[in-house]
Amino acid sequence: MLTFARNKLVSVAVKDRDTLSIQAVLDDDLYGLQIDLCVGLSNPEILTIAGKWNRRTTPECYKAIPFLQEMRGERLDAKIAERIHKSLGRKGCRHFANLLIECCHAATQAARVVRWEEAKKAVADLSFENFIKQEASGESPARAQILSETAARGSASSPGRVKTPRGEATGSGQAGLEGEEGFVIDLHTHSFPASSCSSASVDELIEEAKRIGLNGICLTDHNHVWSCEQVEDLRQKHDFTILRGNEITTNQGDMLVFGLDKDIRGIITIEELREEVARAGGFMIAAHPFRGFLTFSTVQLGLTVETAAQRPLFQQVNAVEALNGKVTEKENGFASSVARALGLPATGGSDAHLAAEVGAYATRFSVEIRTEAELIEALKSGEYAPVAFRSQKAAKAAGH
Amino acid sequence: MPDNILKFSLNRCTSVERLADNTLRSVCRLQDTFTSAFVELTARLPDLEVLEARARFHHEWLKPPDLEEILSKLPGMRIGPGMLKIIKGLVGEDQEALRQVAYMVEECCHAVIISLTKDILTQAPDSEEEKLEFFSSMVRENIRLYNRCAAFAPGSRLVEGIEPDK
Repeated sequence: MLTFARNKLVSVAVKDRDTLSIQAVLDDDLYGLQIDLCVGLSNPEILTIAGKWNRRTTPECYKAIPFLQEMRGERLDAKIAERIHKSLGRKGCRHFANLLIECCHAATQAARVVRWEEAKKAVADLSFENFIKQEASGESPARAQILSETAARGSASSPGRVKTPRGEATGSGQAGLEGEEGFVIDLHTHSFPASSCSSASVDELIEEAKRIGLNGICLTDHNHVWSCEQVEDLRQKHDFTILRGNEITTNQGDMLVFGLDKDIRGIITIEELREEVARAGGFMIAAHPFRGFLTFSTVQLGLTVETAAQRPLFQQVNAVEALNGKVTEKENGFASSVARALGLPATGGSDAHLAAEVGAYATRFSVEIRTEAELIEALKSGEYAPVAFRSQKAAKAAGH
Repeated sequence: MPDNILKFSLNRCTSVERLADNTLRSVCRLQDTFTSAFVELTARLPDLEVLEARARFHHEWLKPPDLEEILSKLPGMRIGPGMLKIIKGLVGEDQEALRQVAYMVEECCHAVIISLTKDILTQAPDSEEEKLEFFSSMVRENIRLYNRCAAFAPGSRLVEGIEPDK
């Protein structure tokens, strides 16, 4: 028996000589919605857009509709889906975003058909396949003719806007481990532009880390290798312990690695990454291993500590990030339980993407650490614990 | 050609079926003016790990990708946050056909997530007042929902009195 079905229907017709008209419907077990929009032909951008709910889940879903207007003027280029996700998907509604992406895809395909029909006026027996080949090679006389005709239409449209909204993030608070001694490092931070999802410059991260009293931070930008020289310059500039790491996406999720200089591009299997890290004598931590879903949790899925501990990824890592600033208390608690069950050390890191998030969680070491070699030695010793650094500080300041 | 004749039409259907052995089968089918394709994923509960993936892709002019090799990379991947980057990385996005296959894999995964969300939302009460409380509790329970969409943004009745940093 089906437990869920989603149907999407998108139809594209020509509205006038330079405009496509697109009607789209999304209908599934939870949502029913539709979008009507117009897209330019000679200047492929969204000209008008309207949408409505037929069925929705919450009493406040109607608030998403006005955000459709922010899509007006968006150009249908290779990055349009990404921009729709980031803008309409985050501020408005992900289901409208999903359907609008289908509309944009359909409009692009329909524009091809329209161009082919135009080209056939010059070359009557031009097959669609040949038209596509010629268009791809850019050598088509027919295409040149279309372009000149398009220019002759004198499209008055301005170039489409390309908006690049930045990622947003929220912090979370949780009681951490006890204890005030030791050397506290935030092992998980992201800076812009090394991580495009971050909104904090590396200088802002470091200044904030110093201000709140951390002893050091690790720069763990996504698949980005900081050079030794860059980090040394930062150390001298800020007179602070700054260490290099990397957050690498594998087929089994994100891993924090330390001591690996290799620039890993694309998605790597966890086994391949394990080999690279072992060869380099480095250290690998499963980052936010139970970062979960928005409306249900691992518990609701029936995931137990015992079954979770059997996941193959835990055979490949040296430690588990048990306190991460981007997941819920329950997910952190679950990661902590799994680490205990496996006998793996647990670390903490803020996963900061904003300066204000640095140090939400960190790792308290029993020894002072100034170099990468000392960090890896300390990580391998297992003599450390994750801490809720900011909340501990706040509690202390409040006299608790 | 008259303007009322469609230049392009697309029909995409994605469905999820719960199988007997605690697995979910998610299938995305696409039929448009140029394409006839399907992607099928099987995922195991409770960790939502992909067990198997298969697909067929026919397109008017795009060369079909080597689906067997591409899909063999998917088993082991977990359906969940961060999966989009992994799917694009594993399936690839440098060819139009691969982008479409990757999108269909993503649709299968989203359908699995929404099918499980449905289980939660079927518990929502009928009255407006109780509904507000139900969704408000959902945000309190999982603060990541806060500001994730217009319905859960500041100013919405569903997040009244909720401060994400506390």
